[in-house]
Amino acid sequence: MSNLAIGAWGVIALLVILWLRVPIAVALAIVGIAGYAAIDGWHKALSVLASVPFELASAYSLSVVPLFILMGAVASRGRMAKETFDACNGLFSGIRGALANATIGACALFGAICGSSIATAATFSRVAIPEMRRHGYEASFSAGAVASAGTLAVLIPPSVLTAIYALAAEQSLARLYAACFIPGVVLAALYVLAVWAVAWLRPAWVPSVPAMRLLERLRAATGIWKLGVLFFFALFGIYLGWFSPTEAAALAAFVAIIIAFATRAMDWRALVEALLESVHTTAAVFFIVIGAFIFSRFIVLTEFPAELARWVAHAKLSPLMVLIAVMALYLILGTFLDEVSMILITVPVALPLVTHIGYDGIWLGVFVTVMCTIGLISPPTGMTVFAIQAQHPEIPVARIYLGTLPFLVADFVLVALLVAFPGMALWLPSALKM
Amino acid sequence: MKLAEKVFGYLAAAFLAAMMLLTVADVVLRSLFKYPIHGTFELIEFGLACAVFLAMPAVFLRDENLIVDAIDYMVKREVVRVLDLAAACLSAGLLVVMLFQMVPLARDMYQLGDVTADLSIPKIYYWVPVLLGIAGSAVATIFYIARWRPKP
Repeated sequence: MSNLAIGAWGVIALLVILWLRVPIAVALAIVGIAGYAAIDGWHKALSVLASVPFELASAYSLSVVPLFILMGAVASRGRMAKETFDACNGLFSGIRGALANATIGACALFGAICGSSIATAATFSRVAIPEMRRHGYEASFSAGAVASAGTLAVLIPPSVLTAIYALAAEQSLARLYAACFIPGVVLAALYVLAVWAVAWLRPAWVPSVPAMRLLERLRAATGIWKLGVLFFFALFGIYLGWFSPTEAAALAAFVAIIIAFATRAMDWRALVEALLESVHTTAAVFFIVIGAFIFSRFIVLTEFPAELARWVAHAKLSPLMVLIAVMALYLILGTFLDEVSMILITVPVALPLVTHIGYDGIWLGVFVTVMCTIGLISPPTGMTVFAIQAQHPEIPVARIYLGTLPFLVADFVLVALLVAFPGMALWLPSALKM
Repeated sequence: MKLAEKVFGYLAAAFLAAMMLLTVADVVLRSLFKYPIHGTFELIEFGLACAVFLAMPAVFLRDENLIVDAIDYMVKREVVRVLDLAAACLSAGLLVVMLFQMVPLARDMYQLGDVTADLSIPKIYYWVPVLLGIAGSAVATIFYIARWRPKP
């Protein structure tokens, strides 16, 4: 059997094993080792099994992951979500769709710090949906707005998902964070436009809400200072070249703890809970990273990515056709895989393919992250949709999916913009001379 | 097992807190006093190994490994339980093989006396949390298999 055929069987075996509820990390490692052994013998395959966990255990570049997760865990417990929502509500107050737009703005800001779409959606489903429902917003639209806005967490930096892509694709995390910034802001703006479009087409879904008084708006706006401080440490320190990503993550986590204690939003017990949650999440993610690295060694050995690139060149496929095929791959995988696994499994194949047609690894990182935001709200396994349904069982899942449709359109508009204007992602890293 | 989960979890959390504090101290000392902490890089790497691998058994004990659960909507609950048992057997097998492959590698590193560049930390120290984490995860999975029953 040729190496290529072994690679193809390996991918099929992986999908079958995943389907049978084997933990993703275990499935990746087992298929990776078996495939490696089929090509290069058991001795070398088993040495990969022993060496990869140790190499990853002490990889300094990975230390950014638990520290950003810790910052998010602290921010989630530090009452910052409600204050951010109030501040954004003050900003949009008086405009049609103000509450939905406040949700989008707050999710964009809070999600960037929190780093987890599911945590952001779950948090704002408690904060924003009751407020929107109280003012007569349609249930499916309210839930859809929160589910979609929650996905901004993975795109707007600093994002843990982007950090994992940077590691898997061996790209500069600082450049990736800079590259994600403008598309993240554009997506948030497209979501705002989606709200206005719905308000125009279905006014009953988005009723007018009385405007807040100026004093109230100003008071609400001051609540955002905590996230402003965290942004400064977590993001601008990297952009300005003051800190490395790991240092920025550590400083931001530390400052988040100080703010949470100073404002009495957190006690020692909550801090220990945040630390425990962070190490458990990190360990689960790392185990998948280990499995994915073993699997990617096998994929590289099959020369499947190079062969695919050669086939694309031979078939004279246009870059657009290749990108549509890559997009279809992510859409399909996004229906049943989580975002971390999706990135780790696909990068060894997608990166050489996309670089072959003239796009670079930084651009792909942004593109893949946007595809992940689509996967998070797409049926049948839109994770942010499930997170909201768990908090609001009275809103059926199908209706939440219906509510996400206007925002899915916005996602696809962003994908089209990214393909048509790669500079949207690549301009800021160059402008910052990264 | 609950006690082991707590001990491993708290230890990992302590290492994460230490990583954060050490990095903050290094940045502050470097920025304000031009006096960085020597070997921060290596200590962070060691902290990372401890924070990640010591927390890993707890992930297995708490059944927090990520899975694709699409099949849950297609088959009976009993079938899902059997699939979980099969998955646990595969996990245990993988972890045990991984552990047995790691031990000789760690022993070689110990015998060669490899140390880090800045602080001359023996590299075998980095292996300790890795071996403990993988062994603990294997034990946790075997514990799950031993306690498995056809009905929850």
